[in-house]
Amino acid sequence: MLVLLSVKNLKMHYKTKMGYVRAVDGISFDLDSGEGLGIVGESGCGKTSVSMTILRLLPDNAEFKGGEVLFDNENGEPVNLVSLAESEMRRYRWKGISMIFQAAMNSLNPVYKVGDQIVEAIQNHFPDTPTDVAKKKVAELFKLVGLDPTRMEQYPHQYSGGMKQRAVIAMALSCDPRIIIADEPTTALDVIVQDRILREIRAIQKKLNMAMIYISHDIAVIAEVSDRIAVMYAGKFVELADSVTIFKRPMHPYTYGLMHAFPSVTGKKVDLVTIPGEPPDLLAPPRGCRFYPRCPKGDKLCEEKDPEYVEVDKGHFLACHHPVQPGEVVQFNAE
Amino acid sequence: MQNESVVATDTILKVENLRKLFPAERRLFGSVRYFVHAVDDISFEIIRGDSLALVGESGCGKTTTGKILVGLYEPTSGKVFVEQEDVTPLLYEGESSARKYIESTYLEKFLSMSEGDLKRIEGVEGLYAQRFADLGKNRSKFIEEFLKDRRERVGQLRRRVQMIFQDPYESLNPRMTIYDIVAEPMNIHDVGTIKEREERVADILASVGLTPPETFMFRFPHELSGGQRQRVAIARALILNPSFVVADEPTSMLDVSIRTGIMKLMMKLAQDYNMSYLYITHDLAVARYMSNNIAVMYLGKIVETGATEEVLHHPLHPYTKALLTAVPIPDPEEKRGEPNIKGSVPKPINPPKRCRFYNRCPYAVEHCEKSDHPPLKEVSPGHWVACYVVSGNAG
Repeated sequence: MLVLLSVKNLKMHYKTKMGYVRAVDGISFDLDSGEGLGIVGESGCGKTSVSMTILRLLPDNAEFKGGEVLFDNENGEPVNLVSLAESEMRRYRWKGISMIFQAAMNSLNPVYKVGDQIVEAIQNHFPDTPTDVAKKKVAELFKLVGLDPTRMEQYPHQYSGGMKQRAVIAMALSCDPRIIIADEPTTALDVIVQDRILREIRAIQKKLNMAMIYISHDIAVIAEVSDRIAVMYAGKFVELADSVTIFKRPMHPYTYGLMHAFPSVTGKKVDLVTIPGEPPDLLAPPRGCRFYPRCPKGDKLCEEKDPEYVEVDKGHFLACHHPVQPGEVVQFNAE
Repeated sequence: MQNESVVATDTILKVENLRKLFPAERRLFGSVRYFVHAVDDISFEIIRGDSLALVGESGCGKTTTGKILVGLYEPTSGKVFVEQEDVTPLLYEGESSARKYIESTYLEKFLSMSEGDLKRIEGVEGLYAQRFADLGKNRSKFIEEFLKDRRERVGQLRRRVQMIFQDPYESLNPRMTIYDIVAEPMNIHDVGTIKEREERVADILASVGLTPPETFMFRFPHELSGGQRQRVAIARALILNPSFVVADEPTSMLDVSIRTGIMKLMMKLAQDYNMSYLYITHDLAVARYMSNNIAVMYLGKIVETGATEEVLHHPLHPYTKALLTAVPIPDPEEKRGEPNIKGSVPKPINPPKRCRFYNRCPYAVEHCEKSDHPPLKEVSPGHWVACYVVSGNAG
C-alpha cells in the first residue's frame, strides 16, 4: 500500500545577501491517510518553510536543493510534487493538499462576503460547478465547522476571531482535500475559543478520515491533536515518534528539554528546565550536530559529525549520538 | 477591601474601585452615547515582595489596568495607593490642575488671614500656612515652591513604578544603543554622574544575564535575539530600583526554550531587589509560576481572586473553571473535559445591569439576571469569588 504523502530528504534554502539560510535541510517523513502528524519547533526552525515547500508556495529567493515530495494521487504512480510544472502543481493545491494559514483571520478578503470567497475557491478548482451547487456545499461546510449558514452573506469584519478561523477551516475543506496542513491554527485565539476550534478540527479529521499536518510551537496543542509528533530544530527533524513516546520517553536531549520547559497548570509544580543559549543562525549552522552548542550531553563527536536521522526503534526516528537513556535526568546548566 | 485584618502589613500597591471607560460612540454634538467598560470597579492590593497575576482572555481589561497603574491611562474614577500614599492626583493630574487646586484650597483662604491666624492653623495645612507666611505672603513664590515639590514627588513615584512590555521587538528604540536604552531612565530622572551611570548599567546588564556587559552596551537592539531584547527591557525597568513592576505578557512572544530562562530571571530579581510584580498574562500555567496571588478578570471585573495554587486547584467561579479546563495539557495520555461555557465574549459596551457572565454561565439562575453584577465575597479564607450561586446568595 502506498503512503499518502512521503517526503524524502527535502532541502530548501533561502538565498540572501549574506548567503544561504538553510531553513529546510534534509527532512523526511511519511504521512498516512487519517493520520495527524504534529511538527513542533521554535520560531525560525523552519517548520513553516516545510509546509510551504510541500505546497510550493515559496518566495522568489527560495531555492529548492533536493529531495522528493511523493503524493499518492490515487491512480497508481505517486507524483513528485517538486518536479511538477507550476500549472500542474495548481491541480494538487487545495484539492489534494490544502492549508490553514498562520494568522488565518487575516487571510479572508475584507471586501467580499465570506460565503462568496469560499464559492470562488470551489469554482476555481472545479470550474463546472454551478453557483447554487457550490453555495449549497458552502452551507454544509459552515454547518460542519459550527457556523450558522446565514452568516455566508456577511463580511469578515462581522465575524469574531474564532468565527473567522472556522470560516478559514471551511475554506480549507471546500475542495475535499486529502491532506490539510494547519500552520499554527489557533495561535492568536483565546484558550476557550482555541479549545473549541481544536475539538472541531479533530472531529472533522476523524469524520472525514483526512490526514493532517499540524504545525505549532505549542507542545500542549500538538499533544492534543497529533498521533505522531516530529520535533524540528534548526532546519532538521531531530526526533519523530508517536506522541506518547515523545512525551514519556523522549530520546533527543532537545526534545527532553522542551518537554521539561513547559509549565503545567494543575500538575505537579516542577522546576522548569531552561535550555541555555539560543537556536543557531541558519546562515552558518554548527558543523556537527546543530544542537551541540546547547546540549549538555555533547562531546567531540557531536561537534565534528552531524548525527544521522535513523529509525532507532519501530516508528521512532532520532538524530543523536548520545540519546537520553530511560530514567536519565539531563542537567541543563543554564546561566 | 481584602485583608482588613492585616492592614499593618507592608502594602506596596493598593487599588480602590478603579474604573476606566472609553468612549465608543458619540452623538452628533460630541456627547458620548456608549462607553466601553474596559475596567469596571476593581480593587486589589499587593504586599511587598508578593506578586499578583492578572489573568483573563483578550479584551478583559488586564492590560488597561496595568497601563493605568504606570500612568499611561487616566482612570475614569478610583484611587491608586503606592506604599500607602494616595498617588491618584500625582499620577493622573497635570500641573495646571494642581495650580488651580492650590489657588482654590489654600491661597484663597490664606490671603485673607492675618499672620496670627496663619500660625494658628494645625496639621499639614498649618505647615503650608507657615511656609506662606515665611515667603512674605508672596503668591507666585508659594505656587512655584508648591509645584516644584510636587514635581519631585511625581518623579519619585515614577521611579518606583515601572513597566515591562510584551513585545521586545517594538518596545526598544532601534536607533539607540543598549547602553542608551538602559541608561535613559537615569538621564530622565537625573540620577548619578555619567561614571556612576555607566557602572550601574554594567551591573544591571550582568544581573539580567547579558554578560559580559561591555559586549552588549554598544550594540543595537536589532543585533540581539528576542530573549536578549527582553532582558534589556527588564534591565531598563529595574535600573531605578522600582518597588513595583507591571509586567505585561513579558514572555508570550518568546520561544519555550528561552521563556523559562526569562521567567526564572524575573523571579530571582524580584527576590534580590524585594520587588513586586503585577504579572499580566493569558497563560494560566505561566501565572502559576510567576505569582503568589491571582486575579481572574472577565469583562472588566475581577470574578475570582486568591492564592494562586488555591484558585488553580479549587476554582469556584464558573468562568475560572471553564478557563482552566480549556488549557491544553502537554501530555497525550491525559484527557481533559470540555469547558462548560456558552457563547463567546460579548463586547463590554454599556453592559446590562446583571452578572457580566450571565449569558455564558451554565449555572445562572433568575437572581443573576435580576441583580447587579455580584460583589466579591470571601468563600474560604483569602479566596474571593463574585458569583451569587457559588456564595449561596442566589435568592
